[in-house]
Amino acid sequence: MNSLIDKQTREIGEADILVGIPSYNNARTIGHVVKAVQAGMAKYFRDRKALLVNSDGGSTDGTTEIVHNTTVDDFETIFITQKTEPFFKIVTPYQGTPGKGSAFRAIFEIAETVKAKACAVVDSDLRSITPEWVELLIKPVLEGGFDYVAPLYQRHKYDGTITNSIVYPLTSALYGKRIRQPIGGDFGFSGRLAGFYLAKDVWETDVARYGIDIWMTTTAIANNFPVCQSYLGAKIHDPKDPGADLSAMLYQVVSATLDLMETYSTVWKPVKLSEPVPTLGFQYDVGLEPVNVSLERMVDRFSLGIKELGIFWKEFMTKELYSFFTKLTGNRKKTFRIPDEIWVETIYSFILAAHKRIMNREHLLKSLTPLYIGRTASFVMETWDSDSRKVEEKIENLRLMFEEKKDFLIKRWDE
Amino acid sequence: MNIFQRIIVEPFEKCYEKLLYFLPNFFTSILLLIAGILLAIIIRIIFQKFFKTIKLDRFSERSGIVEALSKSGIREPLSVLISKIIEWIIILTFLVVAMQNLRIPTVEHLLERFFLYIPNMFIAAFILIIGYLLSNFFRRAVLIASVNAGIKYSGLLSKFVRFTVFILSCTMALEQLGIGRDTVIIAFAVTFGGVILALAIACGLGGKDIAREYLEKKMKEDNKGDGINHL
Repeated sequence: MNSLIDKQTREIGEADILVGIPSYNNARTIGHVVKAVQAGMAKYFRDRKALLVNSDGGSTDGTTEIVHNTTVDDFETIFITQKTEPFFKIVTPYQGTPGKGSAFRAIFEIAETVKAKACAVVDSDLRSITPEWVELLIKPVLEGGFDYVAPLYQRHKYDGTITNSIVYPLTSALYGKRIRQPIGGDFGFSGRLAGFYLAKDVWETDVARYGIDIWMTTTAIANNFPVCQSYLGAKIHDPKDPGADLSAMLYQVVSATLDLMETYSTVWKPVKLSEPVPTLGFQYDVGLEPVNVSLERMVDRFSLGIKELGIFWKEFMTKELYSFFTKLTGNRKKTFRIPDEIWVETIYSFILAAHKRIMNREHLLKSLTPLYIGRTASFVMETWDSDSRKVEEKIENLRLMFEEKKDFLIKRWDE
Repeated sequence: MNIFQRIIVEPFEKCYEKLLYFLPNFFTSILLLIAGILLAIIIRIIFQKFFKTIKLDRFSERSGIVEALSKSGIREPLSVLISKIIEWIIILTFLVVAMQNLRIPTVEHLLERFFLYIPNMFIAAFILIIGYLLSNFFRRAVLIASVNAGIKYSGLLSKFVRFTVFILSCTMALEQLGIGRDTVIIAFAVTFGGVILALAIACGLGGKDIAREYLEKKMKEDNKGDGINHL
């Protein structure tokens, strides 16, 4: 921690709650996030000493100035009339490897210094955050005895497809806790857990750059911290960079999951079935923005992948699995399907191949992209006319399949 | 008698003396060579067992080395191949020592030059091996990246990258060996430049319309891209 922050934290002394906002060039949206957090603290924790920490990665668009200057001017319009405890703000550039993980590390350090009882982190590109989010992420820690609060969002049926088709079912099957949005990005956690995270020797690894979300969730579950999830409503954020590479995202998420599997292999192997975690907050339906999907293009990408990358997959896939994919090539009909069983076997095969270092990990996991696109196309076709409840059922069936076929993974893991 | 002595006997005596001087060296050299061959066979067997223990053949299959070797007509497993190379290096070393032991000035001079050249051969072989491995690595990286970007000619593109990297390493290896130093570099530059120029002309003149159509189609595709937020 630098001396300025040290001085600021000493002036603040101890704080009850802390909300962290990691940022990097989010001038367009961060003002709204800061206001929502301040309003949330004033509305739901008026008798608590609260601190907002913006951990910035060197923004050049005025993000930090906006955080400094933004404040809720008129509390009466949001029905807050009683005097509240002072609201503190720290804006700090983080040190170390550039990435969300390093930004979180700075937040954890400040949380430990001010002895925060409950903390939350929220993304700086959120458009749909409301003051209630602060309550929903903090109160389960302060009053419910939970150490970790994961978010639960209402999302479009084709939104968050990596979460739906890989991260959620896989994490549930591995660690036995059904956290629906393990990489949601907005979390609540206790000061005790922040200290636990900080003590882990991961801050010079890939966790500092990416994969912090899945790392926080898995670390909390694997170390038996009480976890729950809070319903936050819709998650709408600034559109991501259209050039953001899907294969890089896929690689980062699966690679981070795999690293955790290596660390906690003694934890996940004995787990047989998953159980739901307590879900808090009032659930309601919201209108969601439509999502464009180009099925023809997705199937083309899948077929191209089979044609060109099949030679690598042959080395670690079973003959049946490989022949299934080759037979599916060029199928543009509505019958194009990658069933749950095949998909689960595919993911487990890739994980095993990466675990056994059959080839360069980045190449291997990036080569999963065409299969993932194919699976997404299959999912879209299958659920074209389904409502959100039916889609959730389908995702739950996939989770069950991941659990059912877990023996396939365990058997081959130590071979 | 004196003449007979000078013309016939003395040369024979000199030859006999030289033979007496040469024969011990010759027999020592033969013994050295036999010892070298025996040692080489023993070391080959030891290395074969060692490579089997560390599962080198399995690794070579996975890394595509076996595939590459079979393409160049080598059917033996990598463990056998490397063991044989080690065997031949030992035999060659003993052969050189044996020849030097003969103390023939011409042979000694040739060997000296050969010894000075050996490091270049090793460096060239090292460059070739690294070049081969890098060319495969880049081929795979380009193939995966271009497939994920939806480029239809990914296979061709990746093969071109592999070929270029390998040819570059061959050029460097030949330069190290001092074979046609400038010619090789110029040939590489001309070939590579020629390919790029040919592609530029093909796109600029011959394939102008095709290139435009392709780019327009790509732009449209990107604009109507998926709105899926994957995370």
